[in-house]
Amino acid sequence: MILMNYIVAFFLICLGFYTVVTKYNLVKTVIGLSIADYGVNLLIISIGFNPGGTAPIFTWSELNPNSFFVDPIPQALTLTSIVIGACVTAMSLALVIKLEEQYGTLDTREIRRLRG
Amino acid sequence: MSTVLTALQYLGYILIFPGFLFCFLAGMLLCGIDRKVVAKMQKRVGPPVLQPFYDFFKLLGKETIVPAAASKVVFLGAPLVGFAALVVIQLFIPVFSFTVFTGVADVIVILYLLLIPAMAAILGGAASGSPYAGVGLSREMVTIISCELPLVLILLAVGKTVGSFLGTGITFSLTDIAAYQAANGSLITKASMIPAAIAMLLVIPGETGNHPFDAAEAETEICEGLLAEYSGAPLAVYKLTHAVKMLTLTSLFVALFLGGIGTGIMLVDGIILFLLCVVLTILTISLVHAVTARMKIEQIFKYYWTVVSGLALISLVLAWYGL
Amino acid sequence: MSMLSYQHFPIYSIMVLFLGAFLIVMLGRNKAVRNILALLAVTASFCFLAALVKPVMINGEIIAYWMGGRAPAGGYAIGIALEVDALSLFFGLLVATAVLVSCIYSIQYMSHDHNVREYYTLFLMLSGGVMGLVLSGDIFNMFIMVEILTFAAVALTAFRNTAKGALEAAFKYLVVGSMGSTCILVGTIMLYAQVHTLNFAQLSALIPGNLNNATKLAFALLFIGFGTKAFIVPFHPLAADAHGAAPASISVLISGVLTKSGIYGIIRLSYFLFQSMGLGTVQFMLVFFGCMSMFICVTMALAQHDFKRLLAFHSISQIGYVLTAVGLCTALGISAGLYHAMNHTLFKGLLFLAAGAVLHQTGTTDLDRLGGLSKKMPWTTVLFLIGAFSISGIPPFNGFASKWMIYQATYEKAVESGNIGFLLVTIIALITSVLTLASFVKVSQSVFFGQLPKEYENVKEVSFGMRFAMCIFALLCVVTGLFPNLVTKYLTEPAANAVFNVTNYINSMMGSGYAESVMGESLPAVQTCTFVEVGCWNPVSWLLVLAIALLAVTLVAVCGKYDQVSENKGAALTDSKYDLFFGGEESVYSQVGGGDLFWGFKHNWRHYFSFMHDLHSGIVNDYALWAVVALALVTVFLQIVL
Repeated sequence: MILMNYIVAFFLICLGFYTVVTKYNLVKTVIGLSIADYGVNLLIISIGFNPGGTAPIFTWSELNPNSFFVDPIPQALTLTSIVIGACVTAMSLALVIKLEEQYGTLDTREIRRLRG
Repeated sequence: MSTVLTALQYLGYILIFPGFLFCFLAGMLLCGIDRKVVAKMQKRVGPPVLQPFYDFFKLLGKETIVPAAASKVVFLGAPLVGFAALVVIQLFIPVFSFTVFTGVADVIVILYLLLIPAMAAILGGAASGSPYAGVGLSREMVTIISCELPLVLILLAVGKTVGSFLGTGITFSLTDIAAYQAANGSLITKASMIPAAIAMLLVIPGETGNHPFDAAEAETEICEGLLAEYSGAPLAVYKLTHAVKMLTLTSLFVALFLGGIGTGIMLVDGIILFLLCVVLTILTISLVHAVTARMKIEQIFKYYWTVVSGLALISLVLAWYGL
Repeated sequence: MSMLSYQHFPIYSIMVLFLGAFLIVMLGRNKAVRNILALLAVTASFCFLAALVKPVMINGEIIAYWMGGRAPAGGYAIGIALEVDALSLFFGLLVATAVLVSCIYSIQYMSHDHNVREYYTLFLMLSGGVMGLVLSGDIFNMFIMVEILTFAAVALTAFRNTAKGALEAAFKYLVVGSMGSTCILVGTIMLYAQVHTLNFAQLSALIPGNLNNATKLAFALLFIGFGTKAFIVPFHPLAADAHGAAPASISVLISGVLTKSGIYGIIRLSYFLFQSMGLGTVQFMLVFFGCMSMFICVTMALAQHDFKRLLAFHSISQIGYVLTAVGLCTALGISAGLYHAMNHTLFKGLLFLAAGAVLHQTGTTDLDRLGGLSKKMPWTTVLFLIGAFSISGIPPFNGFASKWMIYQATYEKAVESGNIGFLLVTIIALITSVLTLASFVKVSQSVFFGQLPKEYENVKEVSFGMRFAMCIFALLCVVTGLFPNLVTKYLTEPAANAVFNVTNYINSMMGSGYAESVMGESLPAVQTCTFVEVGCWNPVSWLLVLAIALLAVTLVAVCGKYDQVSENKGAALTDSKYDLFFGGEESVYSQVGGGDLFWGFKHNWRHYFSFMHDLHSGIVNDYALWAVVALALVTVFLQIVL
């Protein structure tokens, strides 16, 4: 089952990059970045998954060598990654708004004053 | 006491031989001989051999005008820096087995030091504010770029040939190159080095900015380009620099390809070196001057990056495979 | 451990920067307060690192610092760690120096801007991010720091958001930069999936024995990720755009510090994590990217019309030198690469500050509109020329010393390996250098020399604070150029030794004997970093001889009344002999445009130049496509060769 997660995760990352490369609308570019980010989140959380494991929440007394739980580190990483993803989206949308004000368009093919 | 003597000795090297005085006399003589030979080839009487000296001292007495648009310090300082740097290069080039300063600079350093006089001329010209100088500096820079590739290939080929003999693989040390030639005869006797030597001969007029590669100071179209605003003493220094550059490049050729024929007596070596420089000057500068017309700047670039670089590359590949 | 033990200094040097950022947000309404806070933070950070020079660089210690004292238990490093070896400290010192000088410069340079409080906050965040990256011993923390510095850099690029192209540049940088960050994160997590640790030292011990398709993919992802941070080709257009728009003080950081973090990441990745540099194919990959960056960017720079954009392309061209040298995997190569990395920070910083000074005084960086500023801004001109000579490798400035080592390293490598390809590298490096010189001739002619346009008649020299910052860089350029032996002995050689001593790096963190027990037979041999230079270069003697020669020439010249010139004193005396010569016509303003210089060169290469111009289309999709293509190529290449 977990294989499916990996396939979907990489599919999402590729889809995100594909969107960034092929779509000429700034908002769609931002959406592409977000999709790639969701793919990464899915990948991280899947890596920490142990079939049959419990949630990694214990007090010291409960913890013993037989405890079987999912890997907590990737979950922590995912939280960080989600936060960063949100920052990327927020910042790029802020830039998109400003760009629209200045250039009057959302088409990446027209936002190319810096070239050559 | 001995340190004072050593200091005096080195001061003598710097000021007399192979430093200033030698550079001044030999360079000016080369320039005079060149002019005379070109004139003879063109069936003119030509100026006397000592004409460059007369020109030099005449120019010193003329008024030096600094244009209102010029930045004075760079405008006046550049010629001096360029000339001093050229004399310093001359000190690093071995006179057969004798070198004044060993362990200070190698061939790669010489390659870069040769840029300093050119840069000084370019900055001085730029500082004059003249649009002719603007065109001139652009052409001068393109000429430098043109000569750089073949020169690099030649130096690498020489470094590889000498290095594989020494067992270190490569060397860039001029002392090593001189020592190798003293032991094994001149590099030009090696078949693989002949294309490089020919390439070097072709680089000399380009580096000195002589006909037909003198697009940078084409008198007839851009009024001497970089020198358009110069007059009086600074102009004299520039003329001197140009003359010494001929000496530097021909003696670099001697050091790279004709080494190992010195006698060990400094005075005799100096005379042999000068005579070789005269022959090379006539061969590379005067002869080429007399029979060719000035090339356009893009032709110069193309010529150096195809024909001359090709020759040097042949040598490099031959040297690479140890032939 | 007492609080003042030097073991704590790495974390202090990171914390003061972030703390400074935090305090400036709260207390920075007042101009003086925020300036003092920022200066204090960067100075403190610099001092903490400088204090580490003796233990780390000279005594060869490696500082392994566990946050909260959570040392590894049961063979697994769970805690977050900082690990400072000579390589980290080398890059840390570069960062601290650049940040310090840039901060001094900012005080005057940013005084006309709005929202300076936010500027300093972001400035310190950026500095802290890079500092954290180079001192971190934990790969996930490296990712976090990469994100922090990317965000801060994007925000600062867009800081002057009314400037031409600022928003556009920031957006492009954000898109491709985020793709790079995503690559780093995916690479990190794939390594974690294989060996279940995030500690760099432990990863370095475990990965070389566990090479499989997944880790190879992780290598490709991390390489491209750090590549976007170093702006190597094909990510160079982002650097050009970002530099053109960002304030000059930030350009110093982007070029001097941010690109170094990418180079640092690539070194750590290829020499430590995968220990794959022994393979000729991996060397080829690094050298290939290095040469591409070196050559493509220098030719792009020749075609530019904007001062800062031109500098940006040169910045990446020089990074190409660094990457090439590092990719040779020889002691001389790494030493030369690191030396050049340091020089790059210094001269590039100086040049960007000079460009900033021109922008500050004239309001433009357009090469076609400027000219003749040397009369109005003599200090800036001299400082700019020092930077220009340094970057073009004119002796005795620092660029020459490191480039000279790079030529030797590449040629030696060519002879040693018998691979004629490396010969081509030497030639490209030498030609790139002269092309660099050409474009700086273009800048000096178009900005500082030539004729002064009427509109800049009243331009003044920049204030003392800005000149002071530039002087620091210029002084360092000269000093590091004059004493290459000291630099190699105390800075680059310890760092190069650290690169070749992976075992020590692992054991310092994980406890001695760990590397041996995990890696067994495959333990990399410790190479001592010794190298013989195949040529000779003694800048001090050379300078001495030049000084004597120059003195002699000057004396003779002055005796010959060289200095008795006639010049135009006072505007009232208008004698036509002081006008420029115009073939007998009346003198008019006619500056040769920067774009038209080097016509003879460009004409022969016109197809190449027009192709490159079309290729750098400015459309963000194209740049993203390049990133994806580069990722795909590197992935396939590494799957085959590793």
